Amino acid sequence: MRNDTMGIILTGDEKIAPLTDIRANSALPIAGRYRIIDFVLSNMANAGIVNVGIATESNYSSLMDHTKSGKPWDLDRKNQGLNILPPNLEKQQYGSIKGNIDLLEGIRDYIDRSQQTYVILSLGNMIYNIDFDAVIKSHIESQADVTTIYKDLSDKSEDIIKRYTLLELDDDGRVTDIEVQPYYPKSSKASMEIYILEKALLESIIDECSARGDVDLVKDALVKKMDGMIIKGYEFKGSVYKIDSMKSYYATSMNFLDEEHRNELFNAERPIYTKEKDQSPTKYGADAICNNSFISDGCVIEGTVVNSILSRGVKVAKGAVVQNSIIMQDSVIEENVELNHVVFDKEVCITKGRKLIGQESYPLAISKGTRI
Amino acid sequence: MVSKNCVAMILAGGQGSRLGALTKNVAKPAVPFGGKYRIIDFPLSNCVHSGIDTVGVLTQYRPLELNTYIGNGNPWDLDRSHGGAFVLPPYQSGETGEWYKGTANAIYQNIGFLEGFNPKNVLILSGDHIYKMQYSEMLKAHNRSDAAVTIAVMPVPWEEAPRFGIMNCDESGEIVEFEEKPAKPKSNLASMGIYIFKYDILKKYLTDDERDPKSENDFGKNIIPKLLADGQKLMSYRFEGYWKDVGTVQSLWEANMDLIDDPPKFDLSDRNWIIYSRNYALQPHFVGGDAEIKRSTVAEGCVINGKVEHSIISSGVKIGKGAIVKDAVIMPGAVIGDGAVVDKSVIGAQAVVGANAKIGVSPESDGNPYASKYCTHGIVLIEGGAVVGEGEDILKGSMVVAAE
Repeated sequence: MRNDTMGIILTGDEKIAPLTDIRANSALPIAGRYRIIDFVLSNMANAGIVNVGIATESNYSSLMDHTKSGKPWDLDRKNQGLNILPPNLEKQQYGSIKGNIDLLEGIRDYIDRSQQTYVILSLGNMIYNIDFDAVIKSHIESQADVTTIYKDLSDKSEDIIKRYTLLELDDDGRVTDIEVQPYYPKSSKASMEIYILEKALLESIIDECSARGDVDLVKDALVKKMDGMIIKGYEFKGSVYKIDSMKSYYATSMNFLDEEHRNELFNAERPIYTKEKDQSPTKYGADAICNNSFISDGCVIEGTVVNSILSRGVKVAKGAVVQNSIIMQDSVIEENVELNHVVFDKEVCITKGRKLIGQESYPLAISKGTRI
Repeated sequence: MVSKNCVAMILAGGQGSRLGALTKNVAKPAVPFGGKYRIIDFPLSNCVHSGIDTVGVLTQYRPLELNTYIGNGNPWDLDRSHGGAFVLPPYQSGETGEWYKGTANAIYQNIGFLEGFNPKNVLILSGDHIYKMQYSEMLKAHNRSDAAVTIAVMPVPWEEAPRFGIMNCDESGEIVEFEEKPAKPKSNLASMGIYIFKYDILKKYLTDDERDPKSENDFGKNIIPKLLADGQKLMSYRFEGYWKDVGTVQSLWEANMDLIDDPPKFDLSDRNWIIYSRNYALQPHFVGGDAEIKRSTVAEGCVINGKVEHSIISSGVKIGKGAIVKDAVIMPGAVIGDGAVVDKSVIGAQAVVGANAKIGVSPESDGNPYASKYCTHGIVLIEGGAVVGEGEDILKGSMVVAAE
């Protein structure tokens, strides 16, 4: 157990229409049975962290419905555990939150009340499977003021790299420059938007920033204080996927059809936990054809499913063909429907014989509960 | 103290020896079933759906796995502040300590537990049947009739009646006679081993039975006949629906196959009657580019690269390229190697079938070293954790046990 560190997860504000119209983006379903937040939350739980606070700007209900008491992560504790921290409506109004400092200021009491020495703070909307315990140990040993985790993306294109906050490091691993999504990237070291620092330091940053009307922890505090503070970079060698657009959502999802990728993100040492729904195993009919697909429990497959990802409880009727698609929970694909490159939110129903075709570069996204 | 209207006691101490190697290391209620469940999930889930929130689980034979599985009862929503799930093993007291001598003695030894809840009624269940039942309806009938005991019965085919405890009832459903495994049955209403007792009656009869040195301390053999002899009111409660005693390898295999009929004889996907189970954070299953799956169920965590036909593939199973699995029950975590063929078999949890092995393909023959009386109807049973070597040929009707 890591009694010395608390976790704070601020969910990002990237909008991926129509999927984030009805939910916080960290509550976005991914890889069949998971939500994006399951990855960072499971990583924290697996590191033995027992006090985790989650704050987001809006759309709390989907997040609260997903996490409930925190049981799947063993964070249902008498003392501490999982805390969903809604905004303080007396101090903050909807739309008044301009940056992560406002969110942190809103949960200042919770941070203050927590007993831990260190904070591991996640600002991003990314998926990865990392040993946070090793990172926290490294932070404590290095005596840095702040440690941030990065992934070297030098093998990736400039278009991908410039979506990230980029770090420049000197030979000792000290961060010498930070640029948030620069148009012309100078570095390929992408921040995973995880920061480890002493709780007291975070508190003084929040207080100072909010006193000055600053709104962004990275741009307004870390960048400006870089000379006086030691910010260290910790390199993560595993895979990192940032989900900030429909295109990246689709591409990241499709990566789960790759064995190596699955084995890295889902390993027995550090399981990824999620809300349990007690669905029965998936049933395949006499005419089912299913290939190269990632299928959750509770589905009924009587038609054809190829290169696709199905969440729990999806029905694919006889004669229907689903290809290169992401179909979320409880959607129903009726007989002889043809789908290619679509992303369906939950409870979408496509009636008999319809045809919906998107493109790989622009998958056709359908919002929750739509009946076509 | 808040008194409970009804407390359930699940008899889960039996070995289930006719399941052969499946119950060598675990009690029968802990045997995997249906891809992601264990047999005890059925009575536990039924209790929860019936509004019964206090359940004692009486364990004895190989209790470790069952105890760990039940834990604090959370998977069934039975982690309660007042009530919940309790594992009740036999215990030592004073100078003596004793094992549960029979079903009645097992409940007798836990009267102290029951007293703590001051129940009006006690529901007695066995932990080895597959069925869905609304116990609250039975409880209503029990209260309405003001019977001392209500016993669930179901019609069985006449030719099978001699294998059961048979209840002979009058038109009102009152039980007039009970015959254990009668050669010439007068009725085809079989006891399902589900009893609701008024608690004060249960306590009295268990206490009296315990004083009788000749008694076998068994509900069917002693308590029920005694109640009838004393003229107590025993009512039958008729159940119509799927109910299966999975006491043999063949019946366990059959009950699994019942799940994949079209439509299924027994449906696990009813969202209004969810069968809860302890889940182990497994990712969705992956179906490979060359895989073929038909008329089967596949649970999470599996990787399927071969051909699967009319089978139950449980959580975390791996099926290699070119493998063919047909009419089989593959229990959690088993591995079927590339090119292996598995036909009409039960493959135990974590068992490994080597590449190109043949299981249950070749006909039975004299001198088969693996021949077993437990494996009737040509079914093959591979014990959990057993390893079948590459290219090995395991004949129909074999039982392969794990190395010690």
